[in-house]
Amino acid sequence: MKILVCAKRVVDPNVKVRVKTDHSDVDIEHSKMSLNPFDENAIEEAVKMKEAGKASEIVAVSIGSLKCEDTLRTALARGCDRAILVEAAENYEPINIAKILKAIYLKEQPNLIMLGKQAIDDDANQVTQMLAGMLDLPQATFASKIEIADNALVIRREIDGGTETIKVNLPAVVSADLYLNEPRFIKLPQLMQAKKKPIEKIAVAELGLELSRRSRLIKVYDGEVKKQCKQLASIDELINVIKAGQEA
Amino acid sequence: MRVLVIGHATANQLSDSILNVLGAATKLNTKVDVLIIGKADITEIASLACIAKIIHLSDVSGEQMQSAFLAKSLAQIVKSYTHVLTAADSAGKDLLPRIAGILELSQISEVIGIISPNMFKRPMYAGNVVAEVESFEDIKLLTIRTTSFAKYTETGSGASIEEKSGLVEINPTTSFISQDIIHSDTIDLAHAKIVVTGGRSLGSKENFDDLIHTLALKLGAAVGASRAAVEAGYAPNDCQVGQTGKVVAPTLYLAIGISGAVQHIAGMKDSKTVVAINLDPNAQIFEYSDYGLVADLFDTIPQLINALS
Repeated sequence: MKILVCAKRVVDPNVKVRVKTDHSDVDIEHSKMSLNPFDENAIEEAVKMKEAGKASEIVAVSIGSLKCEDTLRTALARGCDRAILVEAAENYEPINIAKILKAIYLKEQPNLIMLGKQAIDDDANQVTQMLAGMLDLPQATFASKIEIADNALVIRREIDGGTETIKVNLPAVVSADLYLNEPRFIKLPQLMQAKKKPIEKIAVAELGLELSRRSRLIKVYDGEVKKQCKQLASIDELINVIKAGQEA
Repeated sequence: MRVLVIGHATANQLSDSILNVLGAATKLNTKVDVLIIGKADITEIASLACIAKIIHLSDVSGEQMQSAFLAKSLAQIVKSYTHVLTAADSAGKDLLPRIAGILELSQISEVIGIISPNMFKRPMYAGNVVAEVESFEDIKLLTIRTTSFAKYTETGSGASIEEKSGLVEINPTTSFISQDIIHSDTIDLAHAKIVVTGGRSLGSKENFDDLIHTLALKLGAAVGASRAAVEAGYAPNDCQVGQTGKVVAPTLYLAIGISGAVQHIAGMKDSKTVVAINLDPNAQIFEYSDYGLVADLFDTIPQLINALS
Protein backbone atom coordinates (compact mmCIF):
# COMPACT_ATOMS: atom_id res chain seq x y z
CA MET A 1 0.00 0.00 0.00
CA LYS A 2 1.27 3.44 -0.95
CA ILE A 3 0.20 6.33 1.26
CA LEU A 4 0.13 10.03 0.45
CA VAL A 5 0.15 12.26 3.54
CA CYS A 6 -0.34 16.01 3.66
CA ALA A 7 1.86 18.32 5.69
CA LYS A 8 0.75 21.93 6.15
CA ARG A 9 3.08 24.56 7.53
CA VAL A 10 1.20 26.54 10.17
CA VAL A 11 1.90 28.89 13.05
CA ASP A 12 3.11 26.85 16.01
CA PRO A 13 0.15 25.91 18.25
CA ASN A 14 1.84 27.57 21.25
CA VAL A 15 2.16 30.93 19.54
CA LYS A 16 -0.48 33.50 20.27
CA VAL A 17 -1.22 35.18 16.97
CA ARG A 18 -1.58 38.94 16.76
CA VAL A 19 -3.70 41.00 14.45
CA LYS A 20 -1.84 43.59 12.30
CA THR A 21 -2.47 47.18 13.36
CA ASP A 22 -4.33 47.91 10.09
CA HIS A 23 -6.50 44.78 10.65
CA SER A 24 -5.67 43.53 7.14
CA ASP A 25 -4.50 40.12 8.37
CA VAL A 26 -2.71 38.38 11.22
CA ASP A 27 0.95 39.18 11.78
CA ILE A 28 2.85 35.90 11.59
CA GLU A 29 5.94 36.99 9.72
CA HIS A 30 8.28 36.35 12.65
CA SER A 31 6.27 33.62 14.35
CA LYS A 32 7.60 30.16 14.97
CA MET A 33 6.10 27.75 12.43
CA SER A 34 5.35 24.04 12.78
CA LEU A 35 3.85 21.05 11.07
CA ASN A 36 0.07 21.17 11.58
CA PRO A 37 -0.62 19.02 14.70
CA PHE A 38 -3.46 17.06 13.07
CA ASP A 39 -1.17 16.28 10.13
CA GLU A 40 1.28 14.84 12.67
CA ASN A 41 -1.46 12.38 13.66
CA ALA A 42 -2.04 11.48 10.00
CA ILE A 43 1.68 10.94 9.43
CA GLU A 44 2.08 8.92 12.65
CA GLU A 45 -0.69 6.57 11.54
CA ALA A 46 0.90 6.09 8.11
CA VAL A 47 4.26 5.35 9.74
CA LYS A 48 2.63 2.82 12.07
CA MET A 49 1.08 1.09 9.05
CA LYS A 50 4.50 0.92 7.43
CA GLU A 51 6.09 -0.44 10.59
CA ALA A 52 3.37 -3.10 10.71
CA GLY A 53 4.31 -4.13 7.18
CA LYS A 54 1.02 -2.87 5.75
CA ALA A 55 2.40 0.09 3.81
CA SER A 56 5.25 0.09 1.35
CA GLU A 57 5.86 3.79 0.79
CA ILE A 58 4.81 7.07 2.41
CA VAL A 59 4.97 10.25 0.35
CA ALA A 60 4.52 13.59 2.11
CA VAL A 61 3.22 16.61 0.23
CA SER A 62 3.22 20.26 1.19
CA ILE A 63 1.97 23.28 -0.73
CA GLY A 64 3.49 26.72 -0.30
CA SER A 65 6.75 28.64 -0.31
CA LEU A 66 10.25 27.13 -0.13
CA LYS A 67 9.95 27.44 3.65
CA CYS A 68 7.66 24.39 3.54
CA GLU A 69 10.85 22.39 3.01
CA ASP A 70 11.34 22.58 6.80
CA THR A 71 7.86 21.17 7.31
CA LEU A 72 8.59 18.34 4.88
CA ARG A 73 11.91 17.59 6.62
CA THR A 74 9.91 17.14 9.83
CA ALA A 75 7.53 14.79 8.01
CA LEU A 76 10.52 12.85 6.62
CA ALA A 77 12.08 12.65 10.09
CA ARG A 78 8.76 11.26 11.33
CA GLY A 79 9.16 8.38 8.91
CA CYS A 80 7.93 9.43 5.47
CA ASP A 81 10.09 8.09 2.63
CA ARG A 82 10.09 11.01 0.25
CA ALA A 83 8.39 14.35 -0.21
CA ILE A 84 6.85 16.61 -2.80
CA LEU A 85 6.82 20.37 -2.43
CA VAL A 86 4.31 22.12 -4.64
CA GLU A 87 5.84 25.57 -4.81
CA ALA A 88 3.29 28.34 -4.67
CA ALA A 89 3.55 31.98 -3.69
CA GLU A 90 -0.11 32.26 -2.76
CA ASN A 91 -1.88 31.04 0.34
CA TYR A 92 -4.60 29.01 -1.38
CA GLU A 93 -8.13 28.44 -0.15
CA PRO A 94 -9.10 24.82 0.69
CA ILE A 95 -10.86 24.23 -2.67
CA ASN A 96 -7.69 25.14 -4.56
CA ILE A 97 -5.55 23.06 -2.20
CA ALA A 98 -7.89 20.14 -2.96
CA LYS A 99 -7.44 20.71 -6.71
CA ILE A 100 -3.65 20.67 -6.32
CA LEU A 101 -3.81 17.50 -4.21
CA LYS A 102 -6.03 15.89 -6.84
CA ALA A 103 -3.31 16.54 -9.43
CA ILE A 104 -0.71 14.99 -7.10
CA TYR A 105 -3.00 12.03 -6.46
CA LEU A 106 -3.35 11.39 -10.19
CA LYS A 107 0.43 11.59 -10.59
CA GLU A 108 1.30 9.38 -7.61
CA GLN A 109 -1.67 6.97 -7.62
CA PRO A 110 -1.54 6.18 -3.87
CA ASN A 111 -3.95 3.68 -2.26
CA LEU A 112 -4.62 5.96 0.67
CA ILE A 113 -4.51 9.71 1.27
CA MET A 114 -4.26 10.84 4.87
CA LEU A 115 -4.69 14.39 6.14
CA GLY A 116 -5.24 16.14 9.45
CA LYS A 117 -8.93 16.90 10.04
CA GLN A 118 -8.24 20.62 10.02
CA ALA A 119 -5.35 23.07 10.00
CA ILE A 120 -4.98 25.07 13.18
CA ASP A 121 -4.62 28.38 11.34
CA ASP A 122 -7.80 28.72 9.26
CA ASP A 123 -9.67 25.92 11.09
CA ALA A 124 -11.56 25.23 7.84
CA ASN A 125 -11.89 21.44 8.00
CA GLN A 126 -12.63 21.07 4.28
CA VAL A 127 -9.79 19.64 2.19
CA THR A 128 -10.28 15.93 2.93
CA GLN A 129 -13.96 16.00 2.05
CA MET A 130 -13.43 18.20 -1.03
CA LEU A 131 -10.68 15.96 -2.36
CA ALA A 132 -12.76 12.81 -1.78
CA GLY A 133 -15.71 14.45 -3.56
CA MET A 134 -13.60 15.53 -6.53
CA LEU A 135 -12.05 12.09 -6.90
CA ASP A 136 -15.32 10.28 -6.16
CA LEU A 137 -13.51 8.21 -3.53
CA PRO A 138 -14.78 7.00 -0.12
CA GLN A 139 -14.05 9.36 2.76
CA ALA A 140 -13.62 8.81 6.48
CA THR A 141 -13.32 12.04 8.41
CA PHE A 142 -12.30 12.50 12.08
CA ALA A 143 -10.76 9.02 12.32
CA SER A 144 -9.80 7.93 15.83
CA LYS A 145 -9.00 4.28 15.07
CA ILE A 146 -7.98 2.57 11.86
CA GLU A 147 -7.79 -1.16 11.20
CA ILE A 148 -6.56 -2.54 7.93
CA ALA A 149 -8.83 -5.12 6.30
CA ASP A 150 -8.61 -6.78 2.91
CA ASN A 151 -8.09 -3.85 0.50
CA ALA A 152 -10.22 -1.78 2.85
CA LEU A 153 -10.04 0.10 6.14
CA VAL A 154 -12.34 -0.23 9.12
CA ILE A 155 -12.42 3.20 10.68
CA ARG A 156 -13.88 4.50 13.91
CA ARG A 157 -14.94 8.12 13.47
CA GLU A 158 -15.54 10.71 16.18
CA ILE A 159 -19.06 12.10 15.75
CA ASP A 160 -21.36 14.21 17.93
CA GLY A 161 -22.41 12.16 20.92
CA GLY A 162 -20.01 9.28 20.34
CA THR A 163 -18.42 7.32 17.55
CA GLU A 164 -19.34 5.61 14.31
CA THR A 165 -17.55 2.73 12.62
CA ILE A 166 -17.49 2.44 8.86
CA LYS A 167 -15.64 0.40 6.28
CA VAL A 168 -14.15 2.10 3.27
CA ASN A 169 -12.63 0.38 0.26
CA LEU A 170 -9.26 1.58 -0.94
CA PRO A 171 -8.35 3.95 -2.42
CA ALA A 172 -9.84 6.28 0.16
CA VAL A 173 -9.30 9.70 1.72
CA VAL A 174 -9.05 9.78 5.52
CA SER A 175 -8.74 12.66 7.98
CA ALA A 176 -7.11 12.20 11.37
CA ASP A 177 -8.63 13.25 14.66
CA LEU A 178 -6.41 14.13 17.59
CA TYR A 179 -7.26 10.82 19.27
CA LEU A 180 -6.05 8.64 16.43
CA ASN A 181 -2.64 8.20 18.06
CA GLU A 182 0.09 9.98 19.95
CA PRO A 183 2.78 11.25 17.58
CA ARG A 184 6.25 10.11 18.67
CA PHE A 185 9.15 12.36 19.56
CA ILE A 186 11.68 12.70 16.80
CA LYS A 187 15.19 11.66 17.70
CA LEU A 188 18.37 13.22 16.36
CA PRO A 189 19.37 10.30 14.08
CA GLN A 190 15.98 10.53 12.37
CA LEU A 191 16.49 14.24 11.78
CA MET A 192 19.89 13.47 10.23
CA GLN A 193 18.40 10.74 8.04
CA ALA A 194 15.64 13.07 6.91
CA LYS A 195 18.23 15.38 5.36
CA LYS A 196 19.21 12.63 2.93
CA LYS A 197 15.67 11.83 1.81
CA PRO A 198 14.55 13.36 -1.49
CA ILE A 199 12.20 16.34 -1.82
CA GLU A 200 10.83 16.78 -5.33
CA LYS A 201 9.83 20.33 -6.23
CA ILE A 202 6.97 21.06 -8.57
CA ALA A 203 5.98 24.62 -9.50
CA VAL A 204 2.24 24.98 -9.11
CA ALA A 205 2.00 26.49 -12.63
CA GLU A 206 3.30 23.20 -14.06
CA LEU A 207 0.11 21.51 -12.92
CA GLY A 208 -1.97 23.67 -15.28
CA LEU A 209 -4.84 24.21 -12.85
CA GLU A 210 -7.43 26.97 -12.61
CA LEU A 211 -6.82 28.37 -9.12
CA SER A 212 -8.51 31.77 -9.03
CA ARG A 213 -9.41 33.29 -5.67
CA ARG A 214 -12.95 32.63 -4.49
CA SER A 215 -13.03 34.94 -1.51
CA ARG A 216 -11.31 37.92 0.01
CA LEU A 217 -10.34 38.71 3.57
CA ILE A 218 -12.00 42.02 4.40
CA LYS A 219 -10.49 42.42 7.82
CA VAL A 220 -9.54 40.54 10.95
CA TYR A 221 -9.84 41.51 14.56
CA ASP A 222 -9.06 40.16 17.97
CA GLY A 223 -11.62 37.50 18.85
CA GLU A 224 -10.77 37.45 22.53
CA VAL A 225 -13.21 38.74 25.08
CA LYS A 226 -11.65 39.11 28.47
CA LYS A 227 -14.02 39.61 31.34
CA GLN A 228 -13.84 41.52 34.59
CA CYS A 229 -13.72 38.66 37.07
CA LYS A 230 -15.38 39.27 40.43
CA GLN A 231 -13.57 37.29 43.10
CA LEU A 232 -15.90 35.43 45.45
CA ALA A 233 -15.03 35.27 49.13
CA SER A 234 -16.99 32.25 50.26
CA ILE A 235 -18.89 29.16 49.24
CA ASP A 236 -22.13 30.94 50.13
CA GLU A 237 -21.37 33.62 47.59
CA LEU A 238 -20.57 30.90 45.08
CA ILE A 239 -23.88 29.17 45.71
CA ASN A 240 -25.77 32.44 45.23
CA VAL A 241 -24.03 33.11 41.94
CA ILE A 242 -24.76 29.59 40.70
CA LYS A 243 -28.41 29.79 41.76
CA ALA A 244 -28.78 33.14 39.99
CA GLY A 245 -27.15 31.68 36.86
CA GLN A 246 -29.39 28.63 37.05
CA GLU A 247 -32.51 30.77 37.04
CA ALA A 248 -31.33 33.15 34.31
CA MET B 1 -31.60 34.86 -3.86
CA ARG B 2 -32.56 31.24 -3.11
CA VAL B 3 -31.63 29.79 0.25
CA LEU B 4 -31.42 26.12 1.22
CA VAL B 5 -30.92 24.76 4.74
CA ILE B 6 -29.78 21.14 5.09
CA GLY B 7 -30.58 19.16 8.27
CA HIS B 8 -29.81 15.62 9.40
CA ALA B 9 -32.22 13.46 11.36
CA THR B 10 -30.78 10.95 13.81
CA ALA B 11 -32.80 8.27 15.58
CA ASN B 12 -35.86 9.50 13.67
CA GLN B 13 -35.49 12.92 15.21
CA LEU B 14 -34.50 16.25 13.80
CA SER B 15 -31.91 18.00 15.94
CA ASP B 16 -32.87 21.35 17.44
CA SER B 17 -29.76 22.86 15.93
CA ILE B 18 -31.59 23.22 12.61
CA LEU B 19 -33.58 26.01 14.30
CA ASN B 20 -30.31 27.89 14.90
CA VAL B 21 -29.33 27.38 11.27
CA LEU B 22 -32.74 28.76 10.26
CA GLY B 23 -32.02 31.68 12.60
CA ALA B 24 -28.88 32.32 10.57
CA ALA B 25 -30.64 31.78 7.23
CA THR B 26 -33.35 34.33 7.98
CA LYS B 27 -30.62 37.01 8.23
CA LEU B 28 -30.70 36.80 4.42
CA ASN B 29 -34.25 38.20 4.52
CA THR B 30 -35.91 35.68 2.29
CA LYS B 31 -37.93 32.51 2.70
CA VAL B 32 -35.87 29.35 2.73
CA ASP B 33 -36.19 25.78 1.52
CA VAL B 34 -35.19 23.01 3.89
CA LEU B 35 -33.76 19.64 2.94
CA ILE B 36 -34.05 16.97 5.60
CA ILE B 37 -31.96 13.83 5.39
CA GLY B 38 -33.51 10.85 7.11
CA LYS B 39 -36.77 9.71 8.61
CA ALA B 40 -38.22 12.19 11.12
CA ASP B 41 -41.46 13.79 12.17
CA ILE B 42 -41.46 17.08 10.31
CA THR B 43 -44.87 18.47 11.26
CA GLU B 44 -43.40 20.90 13.77
CA ILE B 45 -40.72 22.30 11.51
CA ALA B 46 -43.19 22.51 8.62
CA SER B 47 -45.19 25.04 10.63
CA LEU B 48 -42.37 27.59 10.73
CA ALA B 49 -43.05 30.88 8.97
CA CYS B 50 -39.67 31.22 7.27
CA ILE B 51 -39.88 27.97 5.30
CA ALA B 52 -41.33 27.84 1.80
CA LYS B 53 -40.69 24.20 0.99
CA ILE B 54 -39.38 21.10 2.73
CA ILE B 55 -37.64 18.45 0.69
CA HIS B 56 -37.67 15.28 2.78
CA LEU B 57 -35.43 12.31 2.02
CA SER B 58 -37.44 10.03 4.26
CA ASP B 59 -36.40 6.73 2.75
CA VAL B 60 -32.85 6.91 4.14
CA SER B 61 -31.59 6.49 7.67
CA GLY B 62 -30.10 9.79 8.75
CA GLU B 63 -27.48 8.35 11.05
CA GLN B 64 -26.39 5.58 8.72
CA MET B 65 -26.31 7.74 5.65
CA GLN B 66 -22.80 8.40 4.40
CA SER B 67 -21.77 11.67 2.77
CA ALA B 68 -20.19 9.62 -0.01
CA PHE B 69 -23.69 8.53 -1.08
CA LEU B 70 -25.51 11.78 -0.44
CA ALA B 71 -23.14 14.34 -1.88
CA LYS B 72 -23.60 13.56 -5.57
CA SER B 73 -27.38 13.84 -5.63
CA LEU B 74 -27.43 16.76 -3.20
CA ALA B 75 -24.94 18.60 -5.42
CA GLN B 76 -27.59 18.59 -8.15
CA ILE B 77 -30.16 20.10 -5.75
CA VAL B 78 -27.67 22.64 -4.36
CA LYS B 79 -26.98 23.98 -7.86
CA SER B 80 -30.32 25.79 -8.01
CA TYR B 81 -29.65 27.85 -4.85
CA THR B 82 -27.52 30.91 -4.07
CA HIS B 83 -26.94 30.06 -0.40
CA VAL B 84 -26.72 26.65 1.24
CA LEU B 85 -26.43 26.46 5.02
CA THR B 86 -25.97 23.56 7.38
CA ALA B 87 -24.88 23.20 11.01
CA ALA B 88 -21.14 22.94 11.68
CA ASP B 89 -21.77 19.66 13.53
CA SER B 90 -20.05 16.39 12.69
CA ALA B 91 -22.61 15.51 10.00
CA GLY B 92 -22.56 18.96 8.39
CA LYS B 93 -18.78 19.18 8.43
CA ASP B 94 -18.57 15.80 6.76
CA LEU B 95 -21.14 16.49 4.06
CA LEU B 96 -20.98 20.09 2.84
CA PRO B 97 -17.29 20.22 1.82
CA ARG B 98 -17.79 17.02 -0.18
CA ILE B 99 -20.60 18.73 -2.10
CA ALA B 100 -18.28 21.73 -2.50
CA GLY B 101 -15.58 19.46 -3.93
CA ILE B 102 -17.97 17.95 -6.48
CA LEU B 103 -19.17 21.38 -7.61
CA GLU B 104 -15.65 22.91 -7.33
CA LEU B 105 -16.96 25.61 -5.03
CA SER B 106 -15.33 27.12 -1.99
CA GLN B 107 -16.97 26.93 1.43
CA ILE B 108 -17.00 29.22 4.42
CA SER B 109 -16.75 27.21 7.64
CA GLU B 110 -18.14 27.93 11.12
CA VAL B 111 -19.94 31.15 10.20
CA ILE B 112 -20.65 33.20 13.35
CA GLY B 113 -22.14 36.26 11.65
CA ILE B 114 -23.89 37.16 8.40
CA ILE B 115 -23.06 40.76 7.46
CA SER B 116 -24.63 40.72 3.99
CA PRO B 117 -25.52 38.06 1.40
CA ASN B 118 -21.85 37.79 0.45
CA MET B 119 -20.03 38.86 3.61
CA PHE B 120 -19.57 36.60 6.60
CA LYS B 121 -17.78 36.46 9.93
CA ARG B 122 -15.85 33.38 10.99
CA PRO B 123 -13.33 32.50 13.69
CA MET B 124 -9.74 31.48 12.92
CA TYR B 125 -6.76 30.47 15.05
CA ALA B 126 -8.92 28.71 17.64
CA GLY B 127 -11.19 31.73 17.95
CA ASN B 128 -8.36 34.10 18.82
CA VAL B 129 -9.08 35.96 15.63
CA VAL B 130 -12.36 36.79 13.92
CA ALA B 131 -12.21 37.26 10.16
CA GLU B 132 -14.67 39.06 7.90
CA VAL B 133 -14.72 37.37 4.52
CA GLU B 134 -16.29 38.29 1.21
CA SER B 135 -17.26 35.35 -1.00
CA PHE B 136 -17.15 35.69 -4.79
CA GLU B 137 -19.02 32.44 -5.42
CA ASP B 138 -22.44 32.35 -7.13
CA ILE B 139 -23.39 29.61 -4.68
CA LYS B 140 -22.30 30.29 -1.12
CA LEU B 141 -21.80 27.15 0.94
CA LEU B 142 -21.79 27.92 4.65
CA THR B 143 -21.48 25.78 7.75
CA ILE B 144 -23.05 27.57 10.69
CA ARG B 145 -21.76 27.66 14.26
CA THR B 146 -25.13 27.12 15.88
CA THR B 147 -24.23 28.73 19.22
CA SER B 148 -23.84 32.09 17.44
CA PHE B 149 -27.44 32.31 16.21
CA ALA B 150 -30.75 32.32 18.06
CA LYS B 151 -33.27 29.60 17.31
CA TYR B 152 -35.97 30.51 14.80
CA THR B 153 -39.39 29.67 16.23
CA GLU B 154 -41.97 31.90 14.52
CA THR B 155 -44.86 29.87 13.16
CA GLY B 156 -46.73 30.73 9.99
CA SER B 157 -48.90 29.39 7.22
CA GLY B 158 -46.97 26.16 6.79
CA ALA B 159 -44.44 24.91 4.31
CA SER B 160 -45.13 22.69 1.32
CA ILE B 161 -43.65 19.23 1.68
CA GLU B 162 -41.97 17.28 -1.06
CA GLU B 163 -41.21 13.68 -0.12
CA LYS B 164 -38.32 12.37 -2.17
CA SER B 165 -37.21 8.78 -2.36
CA GLY B 166 -34.77 6.83 -4.45
CA LEU B 167 -32.59 9.91 -4.76
CA VAL B 168 -29.58 8.51 -3.00
CA GLU B 169 -27.41 6.01 -4.80
CA ILE B 170 -25.71 3.64 -2.40
CA ASN B 171 -22.49 2.08 -3.64
CA PRO B 172 -20.49 -0.67 -1.95
CA THR B 173 -17.22 1.26 -1.55
CA THR B 174 -18.38 2.60 1.81
CA SER B 175 -20.40 0.69 4.38
CA PHE B 176 -21.83 1.62 7.75
CA ILE B 177 -20.92 -0.86 10.47
CA SER B 178 -22.10 0.54 13.78
CA GLN B 179 -22.71 3.60 15.88
CA ASP B 180 -21.87 4.02 19.53
CA ILE B 181 -23.60 6.97 21.13
CA ILE B 182 -22.25 7.37 24.62
CA HIS B 183 -24.49 9.78 26.45
CA SER B 184 -27.93 9.41 24.94
CA ASP B 185 -29.42 9.39 28.45
CA THR B 186 -27.66 12.51 29.74
CA ILE B 187 -27.92 16.11 28.66
CA ASP B 188 -26.49 16.99 25.26
CA LEU B 189 -23.43 19.16 25.76
CA ALA B 190 -23.87 21.28 22.66
CA HIS B 191 -27.38 22.43 23.63
CA ALA B 192 -27.23 22.44 27.44
CA LYS B 193 -28.26 25.55 29.40
CA ILE B 194 -25.74 24.73 32.13
CA VAL B 195 -22.37 23.07 31.61
CA VAL B 196 -20.06 21.79 34.36
CA THR B 197 -16.55 21.23 33.07
CA GLY B 198 -13.68 19.54 34.88
CA GLY B 199 -9.96 19.74 34.23
CA ARG B 200 -6.93 17.61 34.92
CA SER B 201 -6.72 18.77 38.54
CA LEU B 202 -9.51 16.30 39.29
CA GLY B 203 -6.67 13.77 39.38
CA SER B 204 -8.58 10.60 38.47
CA LYS B 205 -11.62 9.29 36.64
CA GLU B 206 -13.17 8.38 40.02
CA ASN B 207 -12.86 11.95 41.26
CA PHE B 208 -14.18 13.25 37.97
CA ASP B 209 -17.24 11.03 38.23
CA ASP B 210 -17.75 11.69 41.96
CA LEU B 211 -17.46 15.45 41.77
CA ILE B 212 -18.15 16.70 38.25
CA HIS B 213 -20.88 14.21 37.33
CA THR B 214 -22.61 14.50 40.70
CA LEU B 215 -22.58 18.29 40.59
CA ALA B 216 -23.85 18.26 37.00
CA LEU B 217 -26.68 15.95 38.04
CA LYS B 218 -27.65 18.30 40.88
CA LEU B 219 -27.70 21.28 38.53
CA GLY B 220 -29.34 19.51 35.60
CA ALA B 221 -26.22 20.32 33.65
CA ALA B 222 -24.20 18.66 30.89
CA VAL B 223 -20.69 17.43 31.65
CA GLY B 224 -17.71 18.88 29.85
CA ALA B 225 -13.99 18.22 30.11
CA SER B 226 -10.78 19.95 29.17
CA ARG B 227 -8.56 18.35 26.57
CA ALA B 228 -6.07 17.46 29.31
CA ALA B 229 -8.78 15.69 31.31
CA VAL B 230 -9.87 13.75 28.23
CA GLU B 231 -6.30 12.80 27.42
CA ALA B 232 -5.82 11.63 31.00
CA GLY B 233 -8.81 9.34 30.51
CA TYR B 234 -11.14 11.04 33.02
CA ALA B 235 -13.87 11.66 30.47
CA PRO B 236 -14.70 10.49 26.92
CA ASN B 237 -13.60 12.47 23.89
CA ASP B 238 -17.06 13.72 23.03
CA CYS B 239 -17.15 15.65 26.34
CA GLN B 240 -14.24 17.77 25.28
CA VAL B 241 -14.88 21.52 25.20
CA GLY B 242 -12.48 23.51 23.06
CA GLN B 243 -11.11 24.20 19.60
CA THR B 244 -10.52 20.52 18.98
CA GLY B 245 -13.72 19.46 20.73
CA LYS B 246 -17.13 21.07 21.12
CA VAL B 247 -18.03 24.73 21.12
CA VAL B 248 -20.62 25.54 23.79
CA ALA B 249 -22.41 28.72 24.81
CA PRO B 250 -24.64 27.92 27.80
CA THR B 251 -26.22 30.46 30.13
CA LEU B 252 -24.07 29.16 32.99
CA TYR B 253 -20.61 27.66 32.57
CA LEU B 254 -18.84 26.22 35.61
CA ALA B 255 -15.11 25.70 35.04
CA ILE B 256 -13.69 23.48 37.76
CA GLY B 257 -9.95 22.98 37.97
CA ILE B 258 -9.57 24.37 34.46
CA SER B 259 -6.39 26.33 33.75
CA GLY B 260 -7.83 28.16 30.75
CA ALA B 261 -5.62 27.14 27.82
CA VAL B 262 -6.28 29.08 24.61
CA GLN B 263 -7.75 26.03 22.96
CA HIS B 264 -10.23 25.53 25.82
CA ILE B 265 -11.28 29.20 25.87
CA ALA B 266 -12.11 28.88 22.15
CA GLY B 267 -14.80 26.37 23.06
CA MET B 268 -16.58 28.29 25.86
CA LYS B 269 -15.95 32.01 25.59
CA ASP B 270 -19.46 32.76 24.32
CA SER B 271 -21.05 31.40 27.49
CA LYS B 272 -23.23 33.97 29.25
CA THR B 273 -22.07 33.63 32.86
CA VAL B 274 -18.78 31.90 33.56
CA VAL B 275 -17.88 30.81 37.08
CA ALA B 276 -14.39 29.42 37.70
CA ILE B 277 -13.04 27.52 40.68
CA ASN B 278 -9.29 27.07 40.78
CA LEU B 279 -6.63 26.81 43.45
CA ASP B 280 -4.22 28.92 41.42
CA PRO B 281 -5.17 32.62 41.66
CA ASN B 282 -3.19 33.29 38.48
CA ALA B 283 -5.01 30.68 36.39
CA GLN B 284 -5.87 32.16 32.99
CA ILE B 285 -9.47 30.96 33.26
CA PHE B 286 -10.23 33.83 35.65
CA GLU B 287 -9.58 36.32 32.83
CA TYR B 288 -12.53 34.84 30.97
CA SER B 289 -14.82 34.42 33.97
CA ASP B 290 -17.51 36.62 35.48
CA TYR B 291 -16.99 35.11 38.92
CA GLY B 292 -14.02 33.33 40.39
CA LEU B 293 -13.36 31.42 43.57
CA VAL B 294 -9.77 30.66 44.52
CA ALA B 295 -10.20 27.44 46.46
CA ASP B 296 -9.40 23.76 46.55
CA LEU B 297 -12.01 22.02 44.44
CA PHE B 298 -11.84 18.94 46.67
CA ASP B 299 -13.21 21.07 49.54
CA THR B 300 -15.51 23.26 47.51
CA ILE B 301 -17.34 20.83 45.25
CA PRO B 302 -18.58 18.44 48.00
CA GLN B 303 -19.84 21.47 49.95
CA LEU B 304 -21.52 22.78 46.83
CA ILE B 305 -23.13 19.40 46.16
CA ASN B 306 -24.40 19.32 49.76
CA ALA B 307 -25.79 22.82 49.56
CA LEU B 308 -27.68 21.98 46.38
CA SER B 309 -29.14 18.77 47.78
